[in-house]
Amino acid sequence: MSYSEQIDPEILFALDTYPAERYIAIGEDPPLAREMTEEINREMRANLPPTDVAIEELSIPGPDCDIPIVVYQPPGPAPRGGLLWMHGGGYIVGVARDDARCIEFAEVVGCAVVSVDYRLAPESTYKESIADCFAALNWMADNAGDLGIDKARMAIGGGSAGGGLTAGLAHYNRDNKGPALAYQMMIYPMIDDTHDTPSGHADTCPTIWNRDVSFKAWKMYLGAEYGTENVSPYAAATRATDLTGLPPALVTVGAMDLFRDENIDYAQRLMAAGVATDLQVYAGMFHGAEMSAPEAAASKQMRQGYLTSLKRAIG
Amino acid sequence: MSFVDRVDPELLPALELFPAELMTAIGDDPPAARAMLEPLLEAMVEMLPPSDVTIEERAIPGPDGDIPIAIYQPKAPAPRPGLFMIHGGGYVVGTAREDINGIGYAEHVGCTVVSVDYRMAPEFTYKASIADCFAGLNWMFENAAELGVDSERIAIGGGSAGGGLTAGLALYNRDNKGPELAFQLLVYPMLDDRHETASGYEVTHPNVWNRDVSLKAWKMYLGDEYGTDEVSPYAAAARATDLSGLPPAYVTVGTEDLFRDEDIAYAQRLMAAGIPTELLVVPGMFHGGEGFAPTAAVSQRMRLGYLNALKRAIG
Repeated sequence: MSYSEQIDPEILFALDTYPAERYIAIGEDPPLAREMTEEINREMRANLPPTDVAIEELSIPGPDCDIPIVVYQPPGPAPRGGLLWMHGGGYIVGVARDDARCIEFAEVVGCAVVSVDYRLAPESTYKESIADCFAALNWMADNAGDLGIDKARMAIGGGSAGGGLTAGLAHYNRDNKGPALAYQMMIYPMIDDTHDTPSGHADTCPTIWNRDVSFKAWKMYLGAEYGTENVSPYAAATRATDLTGLPPALVTVGAMDLFRDENIDYAQRLMAAGVATDLQVYAGMFHGAEMSAPEAAASKQMRQGYLTSLKRAIG
Repeated sequence: MSFVDRVDPELLPALELFPAELMTAIGDDPPAARAMLEPLLEAMVEMLPPSDVTIEERAIPGPDGDIPIAIYQPKAPAPRPGLFMIHGGGYVVGTAREDINGIGYAEHVGCTVVSVDYRMAPEFTYKASIADCFAGLNWMFENAAELGVDSERIAIGGGSAGGGLTAGLALYNRDNKGPELAFQLLVYPMLDDRHETASGYEVTHPNVWNRDVSLKAWKMYLGDEYGTDEVSPYAAAARATDLSGLPPAYVTVGTEDLFRDEDIAYAQRLMAAGIPTELLVVPGMFHGGEGFAPTAAVSQRMRLGYLNALKRAIG
């Protein structure tokens, strides 16, 4: 059975939301890939329905330079839950203005969302990305009062590379005694630089996140550690040997995602370590499909799955 | 962290509903266990709210004598979807009158449910159990018109041992060119006679399905094949090497279930074989907990997960 025959028919049309050239560019010409990505995302943002969520772009002090962030605030009374959101893009592309997702979190969960423009590869490596996310998390906790956030209801989350940063940040935050986290939400997280699983080797498609571009992205993100035994668990959380003491988790992924098996395996390891873990795997879904084909029944089911999970945790 | 610390607090009172003596008897003295179980099951049936579903007990011809069955008919107009339901009980106890589930499926999905009293261990082995289920399934297809069932929308499903028989029957039915199945619903299925996983060693609590009783039940069910490399995949579907050509599947299990990792692994293998498969793993849930504590939020979540999955598939 070919790859596209295994895709949910209702989302098949969205297989080419992003052109194959973009994925090639991510691996070979990141500045061009950023332009191509932002052009498509700008159009998607322009097509979003009006919202009552207030969006504010700010700059906060970072470890080496200021970090741009975006704060999404829903209407309604404080204190509310707070989500530190890390955007996706293979650690190479993407921006904090992840409006479609962040507005939906703010509206459905009623939480404040702080989305962070962490430094990207290849100009930086995972060390800068994690440092920026940790700084933003601390800023969110330090400014919880001003943001109207209940510090007992703070979560971290992200999709794809943002999910990978979520997993890495959970470890980093535990090891560095950062603020208490109520939840970690990992949407098809990019957590394994080896992709040595059945789904990691399965046939894919050049217009979705695939094995070839993924390895190129990992190489830029890991720098000198790539291909060695010494890859940091803060970069690739599957490398972690101790998963105890992490916040309760959600892992969700589509059955047609390159990351499927590494995500499931990581969820199993969290469960074995005694971390309360919600695992949701959806048939026929490719990487990012729930946003590329948002009206399809399977997409709505997947989004509802993580939105209600987040709402249970911090809503 | 102990088992009890990991169970959802809302489920803790239900841990006592199934006495440890009964659990032990299932492994040591199945006829005694069946007698002990009867009043408990009757009490659970009396707790059910009134229902419009009609229940009819019948006998149908089997491979070695008649097979008692129970038919649950909802108010919904014919032609209806159909579920061939296989009860749980570790392959050694339980009856076709698993009303909580028979009524639940009929009401929520609007389907006709045929539940079969297959022969059990230790009086018989898996060969008799699978043969009875296969006979019951064929009877359901042959009598679809009389039952008011649309034979293109017939699923098989069950919980625990019933989930294991569902997986085994899907394989047996494929290999014996039985009727075309629309779906297989695997609720914390008993799939693997080895339990050589992390969760297979975690769950030892005497009031829940645990490693000790499970291995004893497998021994009775497998007969001479127990402990060998020759265990039939129709008995323990985890032993199957070819999972292609099976019906679409839904797999659900709790994180505090002995079967957690074997069920997740089976779902992963179905996905790798190209079978449309959905997986939901519910944090803090123990084996069968959603039946013992039906009003707990986590129970309702698990139950709605599989009821809705069946409804999407055949409803």
